[in-house]
Amino acid sequence: MTEQIDKALKREYEAGFVSAIESETFAPGLDEDVIRRISAMKEEPEWMLDWRLKAYHSWREMEEPEWAHVDYEKIDYQAISYYSAPKSMKDKPKSLDEVDPELLRTYEKLGIPLIEQQMLAGVAVDAVFDSVSVVTTFREKLAEAGVIFCPISEAVHKHPELVKKYLGSVVPPKDNFFAALNCAVFTDGSFVYIPKGTRCPMELSTYFRINEQNTGQFERTLIIADEGSHVSYLEGCTAPQRDENQLHAAVVELVALDDAQIKYSTVQNWYPGDEEGRGGIYNFVTKRGIAHHRAKISWTQVETGSAVTWKYPSCILKGDDSVGEFYSVALTRAKQQADTGTKMIHLGKNTRSTIISKGISAGRSNNSYRGLVRMNPGAEGARNFTQCDSLLIGDQCGAHTFPYVESRNASAIVEHEATTSKVSDDQMFLCRQRGLDPEKAVSMIVNGFCKEVFKELPMEFAVEAGKLLEISLEGSVG
Amino acid sequence: MSAWLDMALNGAPINDSLVSQRQQSLALLRAARWPNRKVEAWKYTPVRALEQIDYSAANQSTAARGVDAVEGLSAIELVLINGVPQAIAGELPAGLQVRALSEGEAIAGELFGSVKPSRHIFGLVNDVLAADGWVIDVAPGVQIETPLRIVYRTTEAAQAHGRVLVRLGDKSRLTVIEQAEGTEPSMSTYFSEFSVGVGAHLEHYRFALQTGAAMSVGGCHVLLAERSELHSTLVGFGSDLSRLDVDVIHGGEFASAKVNAIYLLDGRELFDLHSTIEHACANGTTEENVRGIAGGQSKAVFNGRIHIHRHAQKTLAELNNRNLLLTSGAEINTKPELEIYADDVRCAHGATVAETDKGALYYLQSRGISRSQAQIMLNFGFINELVDAMPNAALAQWLRPQLRARFAQMGDA
Amino acid sequence: MLSIKNLHARVEDKTILKGLNLDVKPGEVHAIMGPNGAGKSTLGYVLSGRDGYEVEQGSAELDGHSLFDMETEERARAGLFLAFQYPVEIPGVSNMEFLKASVDAVREARGDSALSSAEFLKLARVVCKQVNLPVEFLKRGVNEGFSGGEKKRNEIMQMILLAPRLCILDETDSGLDIDALKVVADGVNSQRSSDRGFVVVTHYQRLLDYIKPDFVHVLSDGKIVKSGGPELAKELEAQGYSWLADHPDEVPAE
Repeated sequence: MTEQIDKALKREYEAGFVSAIESETFAPGLDEDVIRRISAMKEEPEWMLDWRLKAYHSWREMEEPEWAHVDYEKIDYQAISYYSAPKSMKDKPKSLDEVDPELLRTYEKLGIPLIEQQMLAGVAVDAVFDSVSVVTTFREKLAEAGVIFCPISEAVHKHPELVKKYLGSVVPPKDNFFAALNCAVFTDGSFVYIPKGTRCPMELSTYFRINEQNTGQFERTLIIADEGSHVSYLEGCTAPQRDENQLHAAVVELVALDDAQIKYSTVQNWYPGDEEGRGGIYNFVTKRGIAHHRAKISWTQVETGSAVTWKYPSCILKGDDSVGEFYSVALTRAKQQADTGTKMIHLGKNTRSTIISKGISAGRSNNSYRGLVRMNPGAEGARNFTQCDSLLIGDQCGAHTFPYVESRNASAIVEHEATTSKVSDDQMFLCRQRGLDPEKAVSMIVNGFCKEVFKELPMEFAVEAGKLLEISLEGSVG
Repeated sequence: MSAWLDMALNGAPINDSLVSQRQQSLALLRAARWPNRKVEAWKYTPVRALEQIDYSAANQSTAARGVDAVEGLSAIELVLINGVPQAIAGELPAGLQVRALSEGEAIAGELFGSVKPSRHIFGLVNDVLAADGWVIDVAPGVQIETPLRIVYRTTEAAQAHGRVLVRLGDKSRLTVIEQAEGTEPSMSTYFSEFSVGVGAHLEHYRFALQTGAAMSVGGCHVLLAERSELHSTLVGFGSDLSRLDVDVIHGGEFASAKVNAIYLLDGRELFDLHSTIEHACANGTTEENVRGIAGGQSKAVFNGRIHIHRHAQKTLAELNNRNLLLTSGAEINTKPELEIYADDVRCAHGATVAETDKGALYYLQSRGISRSQAQIMLNFGFINELVDAMPNAALAQWLRPQLRARFAQMGDA
Repeated sequence: MLSIKNLHARVEDKTILKGLNLDVKPGEVHAIMGPNGAGKSTLGYVLSGRDGYEVEQGSAELDGHSLFDMETEERARAGLFLAFQYPVEIPGVSNMEFLKASVDAVREARGDSALSSAEFLKLARVVCKQVNLPVEFLKRGVNEGFSGGEKKRNEIMQMILLAPRLCILDETDSGLDIDALKVVADGVNSQRSSDRGFVVVTHYQRLLDYIKPDFVHVLSDGKIVKSGGPELAKELEAQGYSWLADHPDEVPAE
């Protein structure tokens, strides 16, 4: 039975093509000069360059973290190119008509139609290709509501007061090795500002695509939800199939001011490497949000890609009665390694957090949940509930749980539970006796296992996530 | 590294039959990172306090003082004073051999370091510095009904290191009680290793009841052969530094381990329990229940790791850790860990941290019970299940008043 | 429609079925009775192709197709339905989703067009009512947290929806009170038709008061040792199975 399941899990990476787009790419290497050049390409103001250089100097003093349950070859940071942009972007297109058709085809292949009339109703898209944002749709409609949705490189120019105030306020440049690197070299990403009391009229989404060889992608996302506002943001990502590893070190900062709500959903499908573990993206990402009084931040992630994932979307529950949520599905197969989870830092009174993590390990992969729940002395009446479930498929993989619980407030309640299970022979037999083939059976059982998380995704994404899992579980069965 | 360690190592090496093992451990110790916040196993547990005792003031006299008997328990008393074995009190039954480690029995060489993993840094210290201790051997098939009570006593300002090595022959049975107490400033490392033979049964207790400035870092390490059984009860109070590392290794199929642990902390005490269950073979079962209560400004640390190796199919392993935080000055840090490499297993863990049930407190008060009395009752209720589960009734009877006294003290804070 | 010839099968190292012969024609209901350990459940598992159940010799054909040449799901699509003695839980997968996938797969194999979600829901509701399960059960996880009786009724619901050629009911009466038993039996009886066969495996005669068999067979030590009409069930009820051991001469020669 295990063999059949294993076969069912083998699949081709569907987003593995390379687009023939002419790019302008920096020679590999990182020094002050490269940072100055990135800053110059973006025509950044002095303060932005200073900020980058400061981060760069901090980074040089820092050590790459080794505590995660992942094993990969040391990254040569001088072998990476820190900037790559499609040539046709030099004069940025004003509208979709001016976008390189090859680029549009790339996004179409990915199932992300940028042509507005074809788009999923009510989703505004920012598309980031290698180092730059290529197009942002629906901007006018959003502007009517006062919502700012633009590339962060543009926000630096157009909304410097917001960027200065909030950039690095949640994830400081010295936060960790990869975040510091990102601060120094980030090239683009999305910027969102939702004004006071505004409910963002549509879902916002960013699709990231690494195309160029030997480049790293260092995008930076900053979302500010002003008092009483609501926004739902979706993020997707893919990369071509290549034999060498590529680095993705992003930073996402969320600021939910009083009574605001941010829902951040990710479907991560970076190239995972082949069956033997060759190639694939190193996904070292820092995502964190700060929730002020009565604000709510909800992270939902479906992680199926990347060779190595190192990612802990977190919430600092600073304001009283603020709420943090983390819903995660992480599927690893072949030789993928994932070390992912969350941190819930309870500072305010009556803060609440929920963590639901579903890890699925197959092949020779390793899948770890790593989480921290901290109740600080001020977290009167705070509550956390954590449920971590692991599903093992086959006897060559690993499923691990490393939850840290730190409580310093007697009135706070923390509950953590973890279980592990397998796709049982009995379940498989029942499904097959009812006429389902083994692939469908596995996919159905795994989907059922993930249901609690999928129901948190926005509708369009839930369908996509279900399909992604199904594709991940698809293959020949004998 | 550490001034304390330099001082501790500043003597002539022990030149006995274990010398090569001791040298190996010394090399590992010199290469190891001394505990600090960035060393995962010591993340929450500072060892600064080690430097704060003037060990030169130690009165190294090992003059025997009486050991308090446990009422209703007739045990063979094995006392170590500052790591030095005292005369054995009690008749040794046939099939049981007890020797001092310094007697240099061949079996000591076989057992020393055979169960205890080398990752415990104070275990390495103990390897290097424990000149003496007890070596206990139960012949195959022999059921020893009389419990062995090992008492670790450390005198004021002393630093003491003792080692206990125990072998249970196939199908034998033994009860071992390890007990340490004291409040006077001192530092001790007491490590015990148990090799449990095929089908053998070990009933084990470790009472790490040092408080105040009596610092202690110790360990119990158990290797289970096929179809053997362990029933272990661990009880810890906190002190300036109190740490216990427990390893249970399923080295044969169909072994079973039950581990119950209780820690109760008050004042500025620190207690750190690290347990690791290694399922290296198939069809093993482990049930671990850990309950802790922290009052005052104390700090409790629990790390419970269950590691299922690749071929350990059909393992059943459960760990449950519940904590009560009595005051907001106190702190509980818990990390139950699962590391699983086999698919056909059933593993689960759970951890909770909460305060005393206010409703229950109110209910008791409404029946005329004072608040402090009610708190003691509820605290007792929280751990009673584990005390009741101690197979030795006399020992449970002996422990209860001590726990009650502890709760009363915690209530006062 | 079902023809089993000289079937020998084992589980691990133990041979359980030792030369079993059985013929079921369309419209017939065959009851298989026997003491514990006779191989009653094994028969259902072997026919439906459960992993670990190995055929040593003999054949089984459904409508002329050899069952043993097919995968488990192919046998199901060919019209073989097994109602489980202990239905397994599949957490998170809703009954509805499961039933739809199953019905789709079976219909597709038959060459029938797929039912739309609306059509299916309508049908499922009717069947739910028929087996006396609240419609909410369609939304719940497959057998998740169901009582024993609910699980059995859920099995019958699936049977009705899949409209199989041959139904094997494995101890469907075990753990049911009399009311639940009636509901289950009514469900089964409603499905009796001239083109469908039933094999009802049971330890007790009780179920056969409600599902009237055309033939009763006694299975003992992996073989059918006695066959007869409904009256045989009554006889067994009166005498128990102990006579089997006392009358080895009743066992027909192979």
